[in-house]
Amino acid sequence: MNWESLRRALQRGSLAGRDAAPLPEGLVPAPREDHAEVELLGEALRVEVRRLFRGSFRLRHLDAGSCNGCEAELQALLGPFYDLQRFGLDLVASPRHADGLLVTGPVTRHLEEAVRATDEATPRPRLVIAVGDCACDGGFCADSFAVRRGVGELLPVDVRIPGCPPEPAEILRALLAALGRERVRVSAAGRA
Amino acid sequence: MNADASGDLFPLDRALRGIRERFADAVIDAERTSLREHTVVVPAARLAEVAGAVVREWGGALLTLFALDERDPHGRFRLHALFSMAPEDAILTLVAALPEHAPEYPSLTPAVPAAHWLEREAQDLLGVTPLGHPDPRPVIAHAGWPRGMHPLRRDFVPPEGTSWAPRFSCIPVEGEGVFEIPVGPIHAGVIEPGHFRISSVGETMLQLEVRLGWAWRGLEKLAEGASLTRGLALAERLCGTCALAHALAFCQAAEELAGAVVPPRARALRSLAAELERAASHLGDLAGILNDVAWVTGAAEFTRLQEIVRRASGQLFGHRFLRGVCVPGGVQRDLDDAQQLWLRRVLGELRADVPRALRAATGDASVIDRVAGTGALGGEIARGLGVTGVAARASGLSVDGRRDHPYAFYRDLDFQVVRREAGDVRARLELRADEIHESLNLIDQMILRLPGGPLAQHLGELPPGRWGIGVVESPRGLHVHWLRAGARGEIADWRVRSASHAIWPALALAVHGNIVPDFPLINRSFGLCYACTDK
Repeated sequence: MNWESLRRALQRGSLAGRDAAPLPEGLVPAPREDHAEVELLGEALRVEVRRLFRGSFRLRHLDAGSCNGCEAELQALLGPFYDLQRFGLDLVASPRHADGLLVTGPVTRHLEEAVRATDEATPRPRLVIAVGDCACDGGFCADSFAVRRGVGELLPVDVRIPGCPPEPAEILRALLAALGRERVRVSAAGRA
Repeated sequence: MNADASGDLFPLDRALRGIRERFADAVIDAERTSLREHTVVVPAARLAEVAGAVVREWGGALLTLFALDERDPHGRFRLHALFSMAPEDAILTLVAALPEHAPEYPSLTPAVPAAHWLEREAQDLLGVTPLGHPDPRPVIAHAGWPRGMHPLRRDFVPPEGTSWAPRFSCIPVEGEGVFEIPVGPIHAGVIEPGHFRISSVGETMLQLEVRLGWAWRGLEKLAEGASLTRGLALAERLCGTCALAHALAFCQAAEELAGAVVPPRARALRSLAAELERAASHLGDLAGILNDVAWVTGAAEFTRLQEIVRRASGQLFGHRFLRGVCVPGGVQRDLDDAQQLWLRRVLGELRADVPRALRAATGDASVIDRVAGTGALGGEIARGLGVTGVAARASGLSVDGRRDHPYAFYRDLDFQVVRREAGDVRARLELRADEIHESLNLIDQMILRLPGGPLAQHLGELPPGRWGIGVVESPRGLHVHWLRAGARGEIADWRVRSASHAIWPALALAVHGNIVPDFPLINRSFGLCYACTDK
């Protein structure tokens, strides 16, 4: 039984970078933004990660009151089709091991203190990456008294990745674009 | 929930008759408020008594309980307690008025344990006090809240610059060798925020306290005075992974309110999308459970299948989590013949791979050792706490909103309500695989019998003061939305009870006597949402 499950996976080979559900000729997908090629993005990202972070870029996910949509996409990034780790990026369990924070959610008042504490536990210099509309500016619930308008109200945000939720490929694209930006390079090189 | 021995298929009539006979002096008013809802107004002092009888004697199951601020102009608060009268597609609502200046009532919880968190939540959000509640601590209002802050009151003014940092008390367990293990709200994985306080002796857990409310975004308040479009956007973002179920429940409430009839093609597409969501969610839970028992190949396999469903959802409906599919009055997306054919082919792969991956996992002693007998939830406890969905069916209860309160296209479809008796992690694991099979069958049926016609019916003005109810079987259980229109056709009140809200208290009981390392596994096997519990 055990072998049976392994055999199929081995025969199938790595799924990384493959299309999960390829469309047949002539079938038009529902209208949406252009899809960036995950492989190209990932390879470019790997080059940047090697240059800026010596090949290992570790991030800590921090849920600041998200709806779980962004979390699902981050989990998908770790799944077999994207396999984030092969580009030198990984999500780690403790902020003390992280080069940066991936913050989702608008920062609810209830989580404000926890967000601050997590940030304090992250060694400097660190990147703060806002994932999703809520973390960028409060998103759909920005008008609520129970939330802050994004993580920017508490912490200096280096990278914003809009989307509700941003698709896995969009997260990769945004990370890549961000690593090319001056401010992030300064952060990565060691901001005082 | 349980038809009585005489085979009475109309428990609502029986309950109404019973209330009229037994509580003749208590009934202030009784009327039929929609096709399926009957409303009985009773004095607040008698509410607990009547509710207890509805549950104990006439087979009612508490769907939700909430309070409304009607001080202007009626000078009162009102409590609504909604009971499902399954197998009849009927809802019995008990309504009680509480005086403006002393909003108190005898607690329902001693007679109806399912009201436990609901009463505490109403106390936090509206300041109505359940007298004699066995555990009246706040659930959403962590102790950092300013005293007397009740956000869902109409005259609520948000405080400025207050520290809302949660402070709360846990029930202490004392004795030699008892340890307290705090977990969260920030967890090690990519998970939502919740605080768990485990009291253990050695490896054995004596007590688990679940403290949620961290992701409370005040969405019900945000909907006050909003348009339906805005309300739908809020509903879809209550929860990322059961977005469609919430959207559907919201739309159904709006449609019942406006008296709209959804065209057949829209109903079928709604059901189809709902089953896609269920399949994706169940696959994620299967992957999560196997990951927690370190069965990595199985976890990867189910993650792969989940991504296929998500991707197909995105390709066909334009959103991986199916937002924007369902709108009040119908749907916004259509599937043409080629798309239907392709979907069947994609899902055909799942049909073979899901049971194969599950067989491989459950055929291994190391998996069975972890899941069999772990985190068992008894059927009686589940029933008492109003647990629905996978958690209830894995504990032997025959409850399914798709059958008990048919919506969308389910009245016209053949499907099994699959059950397991053991109530342990293994039961929830295997049940989900069976339910994916049923979902695939349902999608096939819908594609084969997809009716023609328009995609949506225009919803007119919302009649002021009327309300509507939406009940949807989400991947986790029953989502209940209650919507009332204001004077200008805007949303006046919106109350949501997500399935997870009912199941969290049951989780606290299911871990009793298990070992600490099994807590994450048991938690994952229930697969509950934090965000839509907190709202």
